[in-house]
Amino acid sequence: MTPAVRGLFGVAGGAAVLALLRLGSLAPYTAERDVGAIVRLAWRARGERVRDCRRRTPDELAKLPVHMRQAEVCEGRILPYRLVVELDGAAAVSRLIHGAGAREDRPLYVFQELVMPPGTHRIVLRFTREGTPPADSTTTSGALATPARLTLDTTVTIGSRRVVLVTYDEAREQLVVRDGSVR
Amino acid sequence: MSLLEGLKRGARRGLAWIDAGLNRVYGWRYNPLYHSGALVLVLFLVLLVTGVYLLFVYHISEPYESVVRITRQAWLGRWMRGVHRYASDAAVIAAGFHALRMLVQGRSWGPRTLAWISGLVLLGSVFVCGWTGFVMVWDVQGQVLAQAGARIFDLLPIFGEPISRAFTGERALPGAFFFLNLFAHVALPIGLFILVWVHVSRLARPGLFPPRRLTWWLTGALLALAVFWPVAITPPADPFTLPGRAAFDWFYAFWVPLARAVSPGAMWGISLAAAALGLAVPWITRPRLGRRPPASAVDERLCTGCEQCYLDCPYEAIAMVDRPDASQTGKSTLVARVDPALCVSCGLCAGSCAPMGVGPAGRTGRAQLTVVRDFIAQHHPGGGDVVVVACDRGAGGVAAATEVDGARVYPVSCGGNLHTSVVEFLLRAGAGGVLIVSCPPRDCWNREGPKWLEARLFQEREAELRDRVDRRRVRLVYAAAGERALVRAALTAFRTDVAALETATAESAIDLERLCELAEAGAEESR
Repeated sequence: MTPAVRGLFGVAGGAAVLALLRLGSLAPYTAERDVGAIVRLAWRARGERVRDCRRRTPDELAKLPVHMRQAEVCEGRILPYRLVVELDGAAAVSRLIHGAGAREDRPLYVFQELVMPPGTHRIVLRFTREGTPPADSTTTSGALATPARLTLDTTVTIGSRRVVLVTYDEAREQLVVRDGSVR
Repeated sequence: MSLLEGLKRGARRGLAWIDAGLNRVYGWRYNPLYHSGALVLVLFLVLLVTGVYLLFVYHISEPYESVVRITRQAWLGRWMRGVHRYASDAAVIAAGFHALRMLVQGRSWGPRTLAWISGLVLLGSVFVCGWTGFVMVWDVQGQVLAQAGARIFDLLPIFGEPISRAFTGERALPGAFFFLNLFAHVALPIGLFILVWVHVSRLARPGLFPPRRLTWWLTGALLALAVFWPVAITPPADPFTLPGRAAFDWFYAFWVPLARAVSPGAMWGISLAAAALGLAVPWITRPRLGRRPPASAVDERLCTGCEQCYLDCPYEAIAMVDRPDASQTGKSTLVARVDPALCVSCGLCAGSCAPMGVGPAGRTGRAQLTVVRDFIAQHHPGGGDVVVVACDRGAGGVAAATEVDGARVYPVSCGGNLHTSVVEFLLRAGAGGVLIVSCPPRDCWNREGPKWLEARLFQEREAELRDRVDRRRVRLVYAAAGERALVRAALTAFRTDVAALETATAESAIDLERLCELAEAGAEESR
């Protein structure tokens, strides 16, 4: 192989590698294939916090180190909510939303995406506190606690590849629809 | 043969074929695959320089808009961004080839475990760094990467609030998100340089940089690519629009289709399994107990304390320590000591030791003389025959054969392990010439074998080929595993040159003990 031919091969090889680098670096991809439109349910709710307290027996207290002998122990949790969604009259979602965290004592987070064809759809949504606090427990619901029942009955028109967001407006204490046109 | 061995052999053949092609076009000095590890470091530096510029013009308050502005600056911003992007992609390719080479060459276990694991951590950090970089742009790709990552991380019960909630459109993304991204993107590279130091910490004289010409070629090529084929602006992220068709960087976003197809739990499972497999490579690829090559050992009676093996060891496995009985025996005050935990059994120390007092069992200078004596007895080279001394890792694969084009082949485990006394022995036994075929220097499985071999043969480095050996009858050529044609051509040329010399005569009886004593005396003299 003469130096000239080698040089030619060298340049061609280098150019081929660069072309591959470019192709790998900017290759077209459709992340959401075959998806018409989406109704996204996403909000954070401050639920009713329930405290179950009980007094320790003298035996239990005696077994504890002196500095840990607290007479009363309390455990808190957030009451769950049931989320029910009907799309165009058909049941789409029915599930219980628990408080976040291992002890379920953190706020509730709703996040669900419902795929549907573009067009006009009727959404009926109920977000209802589930269960009642035990009689002997104490409850604390702050000033900004989410109401025990939230409902939404609306009709939305969604374009192709568009997302409609259903979220909770804390100031108005109601579920609202956003489509990105007003942020 | 196990599946793993079969895969390794197949990959080795593939690499040998590619190496041979690249050597032919660029020459072994500039074969980029031989410098894949060093090229990653060069690319880090390119990323650092371009990244510093981008850092000053990027704004976390308007991430996408600032990237658009940068890209529209035709004379600086556009190509700075392009070089930054393409260098990060090239770094992944180079790191991939580097890891593959180490794996198929069996350089991933024992004392090299630290380098393998730190290399994997480095690669993982590069991916995370790249991920934060793409999210910073906050275009469609950044949004998809952020959402896919958040979906996976939301499975961990450590976040007070699901990360995915940030990308629902409920509220505008806080500047803190982009600040954290930017912080991670800038802080991680600092960690990368520390990891690079750990990665090479067990190497003597680590080859951190490729030849200067290759560095400039690479940088120039990336610049040309960025200028003539710039990185395009993709549509901005929008939580209210489903990401359509957009350009993705597959060197960093390769996992996205999988993450979207399987549950976050399955993604964790796949990722952890892949990481565990990668981290287990040193234990998977480690030969079975009886088949591991032995570490070097020092015969302290022969050690003259010259420090040559200590200087030549590419893995800093040899230390010079005080000899406890130096005053009684009259021997040197220092004696070499090998740390078996650091020794990879390359045998380079055996080639460095004039008195032949160090090396792995069976490959010390003395053991080599015994082997070459048997070789002479069996094959009787003479009458001007050329003997081909071939490294069994490269050398066109001729070491596996008994002869090549009629010339007898004397295989060695590494060119750097070859003691120069073996060459002398072959010539004194009547061989017309000795053609030594070693791997190209940057392809040596033991890092510095060819470098020390050449210095010992022709530059009087200990243990040097003695003056009385006719250098016209000794030739060193470099050939990779896939370059058999090069070996044959070199053999033909060398045969022609040897034929022009006077006929070699064989010594009737070469006293091995005498040869060793002479070597010892020579070493003592040189102290």
